[in-house]
Amino acid sequence: MDSWIIVTEAGPVAGMAAAARELGGTVTAAVVGPRLLAESTAACGCDSVQWFSTLDSVPAESLALQVADLVAAASPRLVLALDDPAGRVLLAVAATRLGAALVSSVPGLSVEGDDLVVTRPAVEGKVVETLVVPGALAGVFDGEDVDVVSPVPAAITEVAPSGMAPSMRIIETTVAPGEAAGLQQAERVVSIGRGVRKREDIALVEELADAAHAKMACTLPICDDMRWYDESHVVGTSTQQIAPDLYIAVGVSGQPQHMSGVRAAKVIVAINNDPEATIFKKCHFGILGDLYEIVPALTAAFKRA
Amino acid sequence: MKCVIAFKWAKNPQDARVSADGAVDWRAAKMVASDDDAAAVVVARDLAVGDELVGLTVGDGDVAWAAARGATRTVSVADVEPNADSAVLGEVLAAGVRRIGGADIVIIGDGVWDQMVSMSLAGQLGWAVLAGVVSATAEGDRLHVTRKSGTGTEVIEVGTPVVLAVAARRAEDKPPGMKDVLAARKKPLEKVAMADLGVTSVGGVTLRGTALPEAADARIFDGADPEGAVEQLMTALRSEGVL
Ligand SMILES: Cc1cc2nc3c(=O)[nH]c(=O)nc-3n(C[C@H](O)[C@H](O)[C@H](O)COP(=O)(O)OP(=O)(O)OC[C@H]3O[C@@H](n4cnc5c(N)ncnc54)[C@H](O)[C@@H]3O)c2cc1C
Ligand SMILES: Nc1ncnc2c1ncn2[C@@H]1O[C@H](COP(=O)(O)O)[C@@H](O)[C@H]1O
Repeated sequence: MDSWIIVTEAGPVAGMAAAARELGGTVTAAVVGPRLLAESTAACGCDSVQWFSTLDSVPAESLALQVADLVAAASPRLVLALDDPAGRVLLAVAATRLGAALVSSVPGLSVEGDDLVVTRPAVEGKVVETLVVPGALAGVFDGEDVDVVSPVPAAITEVAPSGMAPSMRIIETTVAPGEAAGLQQAERVVSIGRGVRKREDIALVEELADAAHAKMACTLPICDDMRWYDESHVVGTSTQQIAPDLYIAVGVSGQPQHMSGVRAAKVIVAINNDPEATIFKKCHFGILGDLYEIVPALTAAFKRA
Repeated sequence: MKCVIAFKWAKNPQDARVSADGAVDWRAAKMVASDDDAAAVVVARDLAVGDELVGLTVGDGDVAWAAARGATRTVSVADVEPNADSAVLGEVLAAGVRRIGGADIVIIGDGVWDQMVSMSLAGQLGWAVLAGVVSATAEGDRLHVTRKSGTGTEVIEVGTPVVLAVAARRAEDKPPGMKDVLAARKKPLEKVAMADLGVTSVGGVTLRGTALPEAADARIFDGADPEGAVEQLMTALRSEGVL
């Protein structure tokens, strides 16, 4: 059973290719974007790459039909894409062309006889559900990334543009605000939420960040309501997704809109004084206590370490 | 431009009850407006200036929600249940848009609970579509759409017909007052069934079952003794290899 993956942005592409590999057949990547993206995808464990190059002024979405036609012509059993806006558009158009079932979150999958089987968290994480798909499946991959064992790059074939005038045009791009705070590359991040009572108190947590060689992040209200940090420091659904090795959340309640921004973090630590705080269900380690007592002690420990 | 606002098309998972054997009971859950719906209707209101704004909803929610926020009339598809195949609801909504007829723009919440329904709707209409939309303005017969991209934003010029899937940044700040809510209930409402729309698809996904997730393995240290708790945490972090 063959599969395709659609790539329009960097992300856990190797994890997605590994999930597609479960079907046993070939894995073909359709990449829409710059040459660099095609090359990084080619090293992610797929068999071949079909590359649609785009001009800086053309959004990937304007190639949705051409990509869908190519995917449908191969009639794969499985198509996966990541959850960025363009990836989702391309996936849905391909699914329609294929007549495939469309599943909005696929952390991974397995094959049972002739069926594809997806087991995933559902109902806001209250249950794990098992879905059985007897036919073609198009899914948004939201599993973990993997390291590629033998990075033999796959061959890249450039696909000629269809000749149709693009229906969309990018007329303005704002500098990614995430860059300013350096959170995208950071290995360690300390974040604050509304548990921090006064602006002056941030210094206490910044000292911890210094000692731990970490970058500072925050929840949305710290930016939008308190205006203590600018947008580049905010993590979550409506802002940025980050993947540090260590994420220490200080006085953060752990609402889903915040936690979705750190889902890819390796280890999440929560410091909170409310035993009922949601974050204690979503972290790896927690300290139940007053941040004003815990943070100085933790800073001292990092300084000793 | 003539706009359709698709709203309240998902059941609130917060209200679903889960029993000890992992079975999910959706009976107490209603179709509700998400934060994205509230952001979508704001975008729709601005683009529909001088033309019609039609609400489109499914299932058992408040049918006057969009009318209270500026929609001139509403079409409601009553007999729709949640389906793990997003293409099914996409097909219902696409059929609803066709029934309304003549729309230039469909605006829908990007959908935190199912982010592929809006995309499937567009795929089945065969229209252009942008997701992660923050705002949009009409410039002549084209639109300038601001949408999220990576950690920044892009402004994209696009023609019609188009589907815009809007993602919220915050909860609705100005819900309509009582006067608007009462007036909304007097606006025209058309109730149709899936069969009236010619939708018979049951989707390509069967739900084998649900189970309780494995207990979270978080280790919580008691901060009543700050130094002791911190020591335990540092030991744990060392053994995880992140120090
Ligand atoms: C459409 C939408 C999009 C959103 N997008 C984002 C987003 O991208 N990113 C984001 O972060 N949020 C986002 N939000 C907001 C999100 O829902 C939460 O409201 C927000 O993350 C909560 O911030 P918080 O944890 O700082 O505050 P709170 O929820 O108020 O939590 C503060 C926590 O601090 C604890 N605390 C208080 N005092 C102490 C003390 N002395 N010691 C230790 N702990 C203490 C409390 O127990 C509490 O758990 C969004 C919301 C909406 C509606
Ligand atoms: N602790 C901090 N670490 C990094 N940048 C900061 C910090 N505090 C403030 N800034 C930056 O300084 C600018 C002004 O911050 P503020 O006055 O707190 O809104 C913003 O661009 C912030 O990103």
